[in-house]
Amino acid sequence: MTITVDGISKSFNDFQALKGVELAAARGEFIALLGPSGSGKTTLLRILAGLEFADSGRLLFDGRDVAAQGAGERNVGFVFQHYALFKHMTVAENVSFGLRVKPRAQRPAKAEIDRQVNELLRLVQLDRLGGRYPSQLSGGQRQRVALARALAIQPAVLLLDEPFGALDAKVRKELRRWLRRLHDDMQLTSIFVTHDQEEALELADRIAVMREGRIEQIGTPAEIYHRPATAFVYEFLGNANRLRCRIDRGRAVVAGLELPAPEYPDLHDAAGTAFVRPHDLVIADARQSGLEARVRQVFLAGPAIRVELALLTTGDMLEAEVPHGSDLGSLIVPDKLVTLQPTKIRAFPDAA
Amino acid sequence: MVAQTRRELSALPAAAAPSAAARVRLATTESAPVRWVLIALGLGFILLVIVLPLVSVFLEALRGGIGAFLRAVTEDDTLSAIRLTLLVAAIAVPLNLVFGLAAAWAIAKFDFRGKSLLITLIDLPFSVSPVISGLIYVLLYGANGWFGPFLKEWDIKIIFNVTGLVLATVFVTFPFIARELIPLMQEQGRDEEEAAISLGANGWRTFLYVTLPNVAWGLLYGVLLCNARAMGEFGAVSVVSGHIRGLTNTMPLHVEILYNEYDFVGAFAVASLLALLAIVTLVAKSLLEWRYGDRLAAGRRH
Repeated sequence: MTITVDGISKSFNDFQALKGVELAAARGEFIALLGPSGSGKTTLLRILAGLEFADSGRLLFDGRDVAAQGAGERNVGFVFQHYALFKHMTVAENVSFGLRVKPRAQRPAKAEIDRQVNELLRLVQLDRLGGRYPSQLSGGQRQRVALARALAIQPAVLLLDEPFGALDAKVRKELRRWLRRLHDDMQLTSIFVTHDQEEALELADRIAVMREGRIEQIGTPAEIYHRPATAFVYEFLGNANRLRCRIDRGRAVVAGLELPAPEYPDLHDAAGTAFVRPHDLVIADARQSGLEARVRQVFLAGPAIRVELALLTTGDMLEAEVPHGSDLGSLIVPDKLVTLQPTKIRAFPDAA
Repeated sequence: MVAQTRRELSALPAAAAPSAAARVRLATTESAPVRWVLIALGLGFILLVIVLPLVSVFLEALRGGIGAFLRAVTEDDTLSAIRLTLLVAAIAVPLNLVFGLAAAWAIAKFDFRGKSLLITLIDLPFSVSPVISGLIYVLLYGANGWFGPFLKEWDIKIIFNVTGLVLATVFVTFPFIARELIPLMQEQGRDEEEAAISLGANGWRTFLYVTLPNVAWGLLYGVLLCNARAMGEFGAVSVVSGHIRGLTNTMPLHVEILYNEYDFVGAFAVASLLALLAIVTLVAKSLLEWRYGDRLAAGRRH
């Protein structure tokens, strides 16, 4: 099913949660709504589900306006952030709920319901736990029950609100891959909300980065990561060092160091901010040209060595990453004077 | 859980320093004399204020022997008082079950203007003296009240009638069920209802299959409390009843009449029945909690 969000706005009392959001999801797409809390991503998801209604704008499923339809008529599977399992029902009763409450004419026979429930429980790998109550399950198991329950009504659209938010890191990673496979196998159109950029980058076909009720940028994970449209998107997608700079005719000047900024060939001496990812910051000895800095702290644990440095000119703290086993051992000790050479920066002029 | 923690805590210092002088007690525990004095005070108070009066009710009721007790409770007026009390409770409690459930549902699951005003109104019967509640009904529906002439014209009797007793009892017991359910429903939020609706359930099925089972225990508790109060209500009922023996006399009113007539055995016999009803109510509640406590806890935990 295709989904078209056309200029949707929504206010809660004085707070404008969505300001004319535009979004189009193709059939079979997996889209992430990524943003900090309060950016409107959950409100947008709830409007898609019919749990909330927009003040203005249109919402089309397969070109059909569904704005007037209630949640029950849209045939949308919704997985809640805290699962919202029916706690007085067993796992099997939870999963069968959507089938049992269908109008009598459409309701499958009891044997057919049982068969479908068993199939779904097998799909989410909970076939032996049908008789348990939600309180007797682990977080990951509850999450899968919530998913099976949403899938029982055979939705064309699956909406997930922070689906992995309440799980520990290891379970989260496993479930993520499993969910992606499920989405592909069942040919769903899925939209999920997250504030975890890693999750969005790994899981989604396209990411919509949201900020203050608007979509700041939408694109594939690679586009979003390598060509962020705004400073906000850049900072939200990973660790970033900020450096004050002047942008001048396709170059950014950071503390006397000239770096290429080909996005702005026409700007003349404009104030801006240059961003550098920690792994794009090369540490060299003090005789080399670059930004002069003093090593403050070195963190050896983790996939790469993290080095915290202070710029000599401004005192700003920067973070650099050095692969384990590099020959920089003598440089990355606290209090050592070094130079930093950004191999890749992204500059943004200050908003006027 | 608590017991286990306590054991671990007390085991720690003993293992670290196995000297006899080691202080093996929780930081939050007082010394032995203080503990004993406080416990004695607490128990003494309970004994004096709750246990002794309760025991004395039964002792006084049986003072003239079991025969006198049975004669007192099978007397015509007493039987009619019992029937009336049960009738009033049988009407008032279901009414308040519906009102309370509806009010709690509206308050906990929906946002609307005037919500806090509604909550205050629900609490009103708690804060108003029952005698005043009764008087209000007399002022409204009595022969000289606002609606008096109208009611007289249509020959509808409310005051000095069973209708008045039911109205006064409904008013006084109104907050019990709503008050029990509102915090419970608010804590549970709307997530499960939203899940049910997104799965295609309509409002009625959502209420029946999701909302109601989630509050079943709170509801039962509220009903028991409401019932106990409905049977025991004196003040409001006293004002609207008119004390017509055999007609508008409930058990608490009957106790007073008998007592004022120096029929102590009779008064205490009826009082002991009331006390017995209260005890049965509490025992029933405890039994249910004990029997289904696991499911109750499982429902709350998640």
